[in-house]
Amino acid sequence: MNDLLPFLPGLLKQVFDGIPLFMPEIYLCALFVVLLVTDLIFGKNSAWICKIIACGVLIVIALKDVEQLKLLLAGPQLFFSNMLLLHEKTVSFKLMIDVLSAVLLLYFDWDDQLASHKKGLTDLYSIVIAAVFGMHLMVMATNLLSIYLSVEMVSIASYLMVAYRAENGISSEAGLKYVLFGGASSAIMLYGISLLYGFGGSLNLFGGNLLPGLMQVNPLGVALALLLFLVGIGFKLSFVPVHFWVPDIYQGAPAPVSAFLSTVTKVAAFGLLINFLTPFIFFTGFSKVFDFGLFLSVVGITTMIAGNFAATLQNNLKRMLAYSSIGHTGFALMALVNFNTDKQGITAITFYLFAYSLANIGAWMLASYFSNTANAENMDDFKGLGFKYPLASVAFVIILISLTGIPVTAGFYGKFLVFSSVYTVYQASHNVWFLLLMITGAITTVVSLFYYIKIPLNLFLRKTERTTGFASTSNYLLISIAIISLLVVCLGLFPDFLVR
Amino acid sequence: MNILTLLIFTPLLFGLIIILMPSDWRFSFKYITLLATLIQLGLSIVLYLQFKSGPEHAGINAEDTFQFVQKSHWISLNLGSLGKMQIDYFVGIDGISVAMVVMSSVVMVIAALASWEIQSNLKGFFSLFLLLNTAVIGVFCALDFFLFYIFYELMLLPLYFLIGMWGGARREYAAIKFFLYTLFGSVFMLLVMIGLYLSVKDPATGDHTFNIIQMMNPANYDSNSIFSTLAHKTLLGMPARAVGFVVLFIAFAIKVPVVPLHTWLPDAHVEAPTPVSIILAGILLKVGGYGIIRICLGIFPEIAVSGAYWLGLIGVISILYGALNALAQRDLKRLIAYSSVSHMGFVLLGIASLTPEGISGAVMQMVSHGFLSTMLFFLVGVVYNRVHDRDIYHFRGLGSLMPRYTTFVMIAFFASLGLPGFSAFVGEAFSLIGAFKSPSVNGALPYWMAVCGSVGILLGAAYFLWTLQRMFFGSLTLKGGEIWKNALTDLNSREIFSLFPLAILALVLGVMPSLVFDKVNDSVLALVHFIGFK
Repeated sequence: MNDLLPFLPGLLKQVFDGIPLFMPEIYLCALFVVLLVTDLIFGKNSAWICKIIACGVLIVIALKDVEQLKLLLAGPQLFFSNMLLLHEKTVSFKLMIDVLSAVLLLYFDWDDQLASHKKGLTDLYSIVIAAVFGMHLMVMATNLLSIYLSVEMVSIASYLMVAYRAENGISSEAGLKYVLFGGASSAIMLYGISLLYGFGGSLNLFGGNLLPGLMQVNPLGVALALLLFLVGIGFKLSFVPVHFWVPDIYQGAPAPVSAFLSTVTKVAAFGLLINFLTPFIFFTGFSKVFDFGLFLSVVGITTMIAGNFAATLQNNLKRMLAYSSIGHTGFALMALVNFNTDKQGITAITFYLFAYSLANIGAWMLASYFSNTANAENMDDFKGLGFKYPLASVAFVIILISLTGIPVTAGFYGKFLVFSSVYTVYQASHNVWFLLLMITGAITTVVSLFYYIKIPLNLFLRKTERTTGFASTSNYLLISIAIISLLVVCLGLFPDFLVR
Repeated sequence: MNILTLLIFTPLLFGLIIILMPSDWRFSFKYITLLATLIQLGLSIVLYLQFKSGPEHAGINAEDTFQFVQKSHWISLNLGSLGKMQIDYFVGIDGISVAMVVMSSVVMVIAALASWEIQSNLKGFFSLFLLLNTAVIGVFCALDFFLFYIFYELMLLPLYFLIGMWGGARREYAAIKFFLYTLFGSVFMLLVMIGLYLSVKDPATGDHTFNIIQMMNPANYDSNSIFSTLAHKTLLGMPARAVGFVVLFIAFAIKVPVVPLHTWLPDAHVEAPTPVSIILAGILLKVGGYGIIRICLGIFPEIAVSGAYWLGLIGVISILYGALNALAQRDLKRLIAYSSVSHMGFVLLGIASLTPEGISGAVMQMVSHGFLSTMLFFLVGVVYNRVHDRDIYHFRGLGSLMPRYTTFVMIAFFASLGLPGFSAFVGEAFSLIGAFKSPSVNGALPYWMAVCGSVGILLGAAYFLWTLQRMFFGSLTLKGGEIWKNALTDLNSREIFSLFPLAILALVLGVMPSLVFDKVNDSVLALVHFIGFK
């Protein structure tokens, strides 16, 4: 103990210096505690109070994120003993996570299945806030240890969310499966981290001697360690071959939770992947040990193909959305092959992810809407509903068109940006993989139209004799769906509004 | 306000008005739509009259010779060291586009009149109709590739629903087939568009640009870029510029359509309701032809020159294959759909000849086919609405039952088969003159292609006259007996009002083709000069 004494002031100073950079996260911690206390004080009626508090504070936190840009005028900042990194792109990812989570928090109790839960939703709100905190850490983490901790934090929160309403067999199965697969994949990831530490002698991605150390080890061993590590991140991103859990769990979990997992969690995982890849890509000569460009291309191509083609076979809306979100992961990976060149790759992936998340949240809201009102889960159930619910159905068409990537929607512009960023790298490197990526991206866009259009097809082109079994649902749900679809079109017309 | 912008967005405005109006007023929607298309027609006539001809207004590859130009910043995105991504709202027309715009406005009015037959879900139909209207006019006016692409894609969704919701028995199949075919072409067009964008720099600002006219100038290409004329880059082992040309050509060829990419057309035309068939045949097929002239020839002229033989070959195959298929059809609407394939083959043949005669003929043929196919589909719609059948063998001797109808059918048929004095004759003749001239002037096409093209006219005469004989001549026998006989009333005044101007236009353009040629000529000469192929 006495040996450490001389270092203590320095360490403490580092911690205190880091605090201004950590303000949004401190707010999140406070919010988490406040929600728990509110639940204790107000008991069963606390759900709506918690909802208002959580959404309001999340918006404040989003503003705090923006304020952080001022701290970055001097460039990116490492803090907390190089555990975390704050960067312009980190801020934009955090902003995305907060805004999308706020929208999702609003959405939770509009889903009838989730709202009918006996315990009420108060606990769920605090779990979500904990997850958001974990995701903030994920996009900032630059040390293998902090990466692992943040991923686990998000994982545990997600296990709870998936199993929150484990009333019937399917959702209990989904919850259990998710815990088992998640546990296994994080164990694999931890094994990868321990190998990396063993090879490189450091956990620190930026600085330290992790990378020079890895250069001196047998490339095969390093590749194995990196692959094991990527399995862990891949589980969160759901790229092939660690995507198999997605359909069952998205279908079994309540729709808002699936929306959460398929959007916000993915955004955070992409933020983490970018942080993780940066040092490797900038370290000259590392591509001879492990070629990330090739790896991402191969994984991207297989993920796009597997996700989109499997989606064409689906008959259940939630399952189809699950497979389509796998396809979208593949497409977003395409933008990553380029993020080293310049701002363009980051802009592309940020815009793409935001456009995708917005439209996907809209799609899940619509899944809830049609399940609430008409009890529609499978394609056949949607027959002729377009004339009964015109506003929701038109919004559905707009949102699906955005997911396909057809103008004039945000999704088209996202696709366009990703394609142009990959083209830029291709023009510089003439790596044939990048060309194949683009061609796969184009073909799978056509394939994706094939399954997305099934919904408008059933909504509008087919007729139904059904006259009973319709219920009414929260108008807020419909209003927010309409706002989202309007936003999707506006961003398609004036995308520079978002990118700034 | 710029007249082109007005022309593009007037229908959209009226469409929004229709969406906001209560459904109880649904019987006024068709009048509102008609009003919108009439305003559009009026604007386009003003456009036509004010359009200045002369070499100093030729357009094609010189930005300052385009007319009615509006250029304003739309999307601008700072991408760090890569410069700015600059997308403009840039519209303007030259001789080739003015012909298309005026033709489209006329066809839209007729299509609006044909929409009287629509009975269900009027709000949806007319708002989609007007959205489609905005998109097609936008395509013909856009000079920024990004803007062009947006309008091009914007046509898909309204058409999907228009065919799918108001179409015939196999409408689902036809609609999705159309959508997938076109989207397949256009996503790859998107890739080429991005490649072009990253290859071309605006000399004034030094930023990459989507400006189609800048893309035509080889000097604007980065020396190291994929589509540079000097660098001879390859894509998957093939010359990059050739790949770019072929991809764009396929995208437009699906629209034209040329054999073997035509299979969506008979299905879509047959299943679509009459007004949508009219728009499909009258306007959308021309988007393909226009795209080939403006974009494929404009941006990749040297590939067009070296590939002219293949373009001509595809054109000739379309002419003959379309005509032979038309001969074999029992369904009147299918017959006309295949005749469209055949007639659009002449457009391709004329373009491939790369002579001023051939390209003028191609533009003339597009205008003429726009009016005539509108007329033909309208006429099919007349008989189908009355008895819900259009099998050629179920009718005989209609001439005595519906004399006015038969008169218009005869005008449309004779005009379409290329009778001198009608517009199609001029279009086909000029395309063929171009094809005949090409071997001796530039050697792009061999003589036999021109000869085969002429055979196509003969086949056209065969299927039209044979149909006329089977359906309209002889004694009256109908499959439906007395019920059909009572149902088959002669044309009413709305139908005559729609058909009459089309018949007059076909005749006037046949007698005075200079109405089109005067506007088109300077642009065609500039295009041929620009391609630089003697």
